[in-house]
Amino acid sequence: MWRYLIRRLNLFIATSIVMMAVLFFATGMFPVEKGYALTGIQFPTEEQQVQTVEDYKLDKNQFSQFYAYVTQRLSGNLGISVNSQQDVAEELSAVLPASFELSLFAGCIAVFFGVPLGVLASLSSSKPVQRSILAITLTGYSIPVFWLGLTLALWFGVQLEWLPISGQINLLYEIEPVTRIMLIDTLLSESSYSMSAFKDALLHIILPAVTLAVLPFTVVIRITRQAMVTVMTQTYIRAAEARGLSTYRILIRHALPNALIPVLKAFGLMLGSFASYGIIVEVIFAWPGVGSWLINAIYQRDYTVIQAGILSVSLLIIFLSIMIELLHTTINPINRKELYAD
Amino acid sequence: MPIKKLYQEEQIDSPLGQLWHAFASNPFAVAGLWAVIFLLLLVILGPLLAPFQPELQNPDAILLPPSWDQAGHVSHFLGTDDLGRDLFSRILHGVRLTFGMSLIVVVCALVVGFIIGSLSGMMRGLKSSILGHLLDALLSIPSLLLAILVVAVTGPGLSNVFWAVGIALTPQFVRAIHQAVHEELQKEYVTAAKLDGASQIQIFWYVIMPNVWDVVIIQTTIAISVAILDIAALGFLNLGAQAPSSEWGSMIYQGLSSLLIAPWTITIPGLAILFTVLSINLVGDGLRSALAPIRN
Amino acid sequence: MRVIRERWNPLALLCLLSFLVTACGELNVPSGIVYCSEGNPETFNPQLITSGTTIDASSNQLYNRLIDYNDDSSDYSAALATDWAVSDDGLQYRFTLRQDVQFHYNNLFSPSRNFNADDVIFSFARIINTEHPYHLVSRTGYPFFQSIDFANLVSKIEKINDYEVVFHLANKDASFLSNLATDFAVILSAEYAAQQLAAGTPENIDYFAIGTGPFYLAEYAKNEYIRFKRNQYYWGEQAKIDLLVFDITRKSEARLAKIITRDCQVSALPKANELAVINKHKHLELRTKPGLNVAFWAFNTQKPPLDDVRVRHALAHAVDKQNILNVVYHDTAVAASGMLPPASWAYTETEDAKHYDPEEAKRLLKEAGVTNLSFDIWAMPVVRIYNPNALKTAELIQADLANIGVTVNIVSYDWSVFTQKLISSEYDSVLIGWNADNTDPDNFFTPLLSCSALESNNNRSRWCSTELDTLLSQAKETLSKPERKRLYKQAEKIIHEQVPLVNIAHAQKLLLKNTNVSIKNVNPYGGMSFSGVELIKQEVQP
Repeated sequence: MWRYLIRRLNLFIATSIVMMAVLFFATGMFPVEKGYALTGIQFPTEEQQVQTVEDYKLDKNQFSQFYAYVTQRLSGNLGISVNSQQDVAEELSAVLPASFELSLFAGCIAVFFGVPLGVLASLSSSKPVQRSILAITLTGYSIPVFWLGLTLALWFGVQLEWLPISGQINLLYEIEPVTRIMLIDTLLSESSYSMSAFKDALLHIILPAVTLAVLPFTVVIRITRQAMVTVMTQTYIRAAEARGLSTYRILIRHALPNALIPVLKAFGLMLGSFASYGIIVEVIFAWPGVGSWLINAIYQRDYTVIQAGILSVSLLIIFLSIMIELLHTTINPINRKELYAD
Repeated sequence: MPIKKLYQEEQIDSPLGQLWHAFASNPFAVAGLWAVIFLLLLVILGPLLAPFQPELQNPDAILLPPSWDQAGHVSHFLGTDDLGRDLFSRILHGVRLTFGMSLIVVVCALVVGFIIGSLSGMMRGLKSSILGHLLDALLSIPSLLLAILVVAVTGPGLSNVFWAVGIALTPQFVRAIHQAVHEELQKEYVTAAKLDGASQIQIFWYVIMPNVWDVVIIQTTIAISVAILDIAALGFLNLGAQAPSSEWGSMIYQGLSSLLIAPWTITIPGLAILFTVLSINLVGDGLRSALAPIRN
Repeated sequence: MRVIRERWNPLALLCLLSFLVTACGELNVPSGIVYCSEGNPETFNPQLITSGTTIDASSNQLYNRLIDYNDDSSDYSAALATDWAVSDDGLQYRFTLRQDVQFHYNNLFSPSRNFNADDVIFSFARIINTEHPYHLVSRTGYPFFQSIDFANLVSKIEKINDYEVVFHLANKDASFLSNLATDFAVILSAEYAAQQLAAGTPENIDYFAIGTGPFYLAEYAKNEYIRFKRNQYYWGEQAKIDLLVFDITRKSEARLAKIITRDCQVSALPKANELAVINKHKHLELRTKPGLNVAFWAFNTQKPPLDDVRVRHALAHAVDKQNILNVVYHDTAVAASGMLPPASWAYTETEDAKHYDPEEAKRLLKEAGVTNLSFDIWAMPVVRIYNPNALKTAELIQADLANIGVTVNIVSYDWSVFTQKLISSEYDSVLIGWNADNTDPDNFFTPLLSCSALESNNNRSRWCSTELDTLLSQAKETLSKPERKRLYKQAEKIIHEQVPLVNIAHAQKLLLKNTNVSIKNVNPYGGMSFSGVELIKQEVQP
């Protein structure tokens, strides 16, 4: 058990170091002066210059520079934003929760609708149903997310006027940031319009979340269906059938939990593309999260923000995928071997 | 249950033939294959078929809807954009940029990935595990972020998209091939070959490789669809192909300013991307299920 | 039992969710307006800039001037000055100031006294007096005041008592009151300035603005929004809305989408070709008014080959203005034959001396002995009232000039870089324009083509003629309107002969709004004002 945990931790650290090395290498290649790329101060004073050299060991060799870079970044010194002249770490903490909110909401939609559909698909044995499920999932895989987002915005926002298509909330509502997750903050707000603000925030999140949910939704359907088909042929299910349990009970109590394990694994593998899609969705729907922050930064050549954005997102992905793997190992009895093996 | 034949047929299909039979029995996959062939033809012939130059502006036909619309005109089959450029011609030219480019990127990534992947797959111990970590790290960066990093270094442009998408795709190839080779290496038939005195190179090429090709093929189809979507996404974010370019993603970006008044300027390139990626995925899916019985 | 409970859980959650979404009944929205504005203001002090975006976000919302125009812009009305008088020689202007006017307060500053003569003197001394501690703060200069040579015009500002000031002018100027009524001539708080100067952060007064206007500045998040709140102690008629939010939305289509989905109630700079979409949505309304503006193509007359007047003549004949009106303005503008738009009182209808004639253009070029002409056109990257799409205009001109064998290279930068580079005048020619700040015709000449405008870098043609300058100062000193009209006609003629620029169009001022917002008056000049904007309760449609 411990050995397994330590190995995962080891993996996390090693991967993160490689990640930072890539970023450090890229920072060195940015077409600007290195001190500027590292700190975001375009016209440093004499003092600041000395400080930068001191902080990042710019007078030493590459290795100590890298070491200094890692220590600075991990201690939370992400420099200041070239564009806004604000502390990058602060800006990051303001945009991360919004992205979290959106992806969590999208993930929930995907699971809520994907799992039942996947189960239904596995139960059907008719060719047309199988084929149409395949067609839907393949289309879901193939659809360019930016086009999907624009099309949904055009239909449900502009044509039908059902849903807002931009931002997190109508700006008339003044919401005190507490958790910075808008759906929660509106409820926490003590103003008289707290409830209508919540409703407004909910309406604002629907379109971006649905757009972002399409990819995980198709993945969930596919994997659930496959896993259910595999599980249902296994002997313990037949044993349950022989005991006379109702189909419903067999499905929900016995088959589904085991079928969901590969879904979890698929989620872990999907994180990278999910993040890419998230960035695009945030840009389309002007969602004030990490993605639109990062894309704005690249338009404005805001080097410190670019580094911070990439670093935080990829570290998060590394961390989450290892967590999912861990979870996967703990709940999957087949993998327990690995846990206790010495 | 199918009826078992009493006598074996005189001729047993070659593995390739079996693959084709399995593939051809899936009508979706075959349709996808036809679509891909069609697209490949367009890569070569597209610019010759286009009625107009992709950047030719016609000030008399601005934001003309597609020809099936009442206001449309037959000379501009798919309508025009806000500068009066013919969308049909632009789509035809764009095949080369989006689809053709994705093929080139994938081939390059495949070659590099194949070399590194097989070398590392044949290695054991520490070297292999270091490489594994390196790959895990590179894989954990979403391809779009990697592309952003490349663009931050080099600036936007179509040639940089090549690097960005290539760098993002290579680790996937390396990892897939590395794993496949590594897995095969553990198997007994390899040990048998080793006992027969085969050299490392012989083991790799004659013993392992025939069992790795299917992984390469599946990975390639996945990579092509990923590459198209990535190239288009970068174009859409205006980090890839720049303004007058008829790259499909970039066309959608250029259509954004007339999104509300002329939705076809984004619908049409979007459908083109969807069609291309869908046909690649159909072929890939068909191949995967055709290969499945052979692999097991 | 167990099964039932399990079935209930998701159902209950769904019920709760649907309850939250639908059952909370009446919406309780704060009384306010969201205005989709087109960009970030550079500062909150309109003295420092000429950009319309900044004017919209500051002048009429946060500040007051000494005097205003009245509703039909024909005369002046009292603002911070309740009364004013001109001496017989036209060199002294005496203003009586309003009493009991409170400044705003914010977390940096709470006023200890009301508005008085010191504030007036501070506001103008900052501009005029180069020794003033605030003169160089924010380092942007005072482009409008420099272009009308304000520093040399006003020789002294004298405080008679706390509520009386006298402006002493060096020479007669018919446009003086007009200029004081512009969006730029706002009154700042001298007390706030002194406090911030002592604290060592003088630039704060331009960013965390304090004024006397109908709204005060509550919050500004760059690239996102500006939040204004009603000034409850406003001296004039109180604003009808509690809250005014500027939703900073750069893209025109995004602004349109937001107003359609009701995230905004009023939107800046709609595009004329969006009219079809606007008409489809019943809750939208487009207001148009002939604007006091002009879009032009200015030649850098200090750089060859455009220093040759014959070349400029030829180029002027080569541009097909009708086509530009069609494609870029979607026929919401009129072709410009001179600097003055038809909406100006000094406008005289004349035939366009620079009509489209490519053959004539070729002949003129040949005469000038210029072959293989090639130069740059700089096109501004932003939407302005006078030109909704300068890049597209440039592309059309490029095509027109290709017809007469002239090669043109289009250059554009990000707006902030663009304005900086304009100042260093590296360009060959530039597509830009002017939106009038007041109704005085002088506003179309002196700030743009005079020799003093050359110093303030607003003279994009880098051209000035003493002949024109004399004519302009003569017109300024004349008080009779018909006489002035005659003089401006002569000025137009000089510009026609010298072609420092080609006038392209006078655009209509467009404003897109939700029908539940009532805006009484859209000024043909200057910036937006939200003080009289009202929300109308609409009947709920069954």
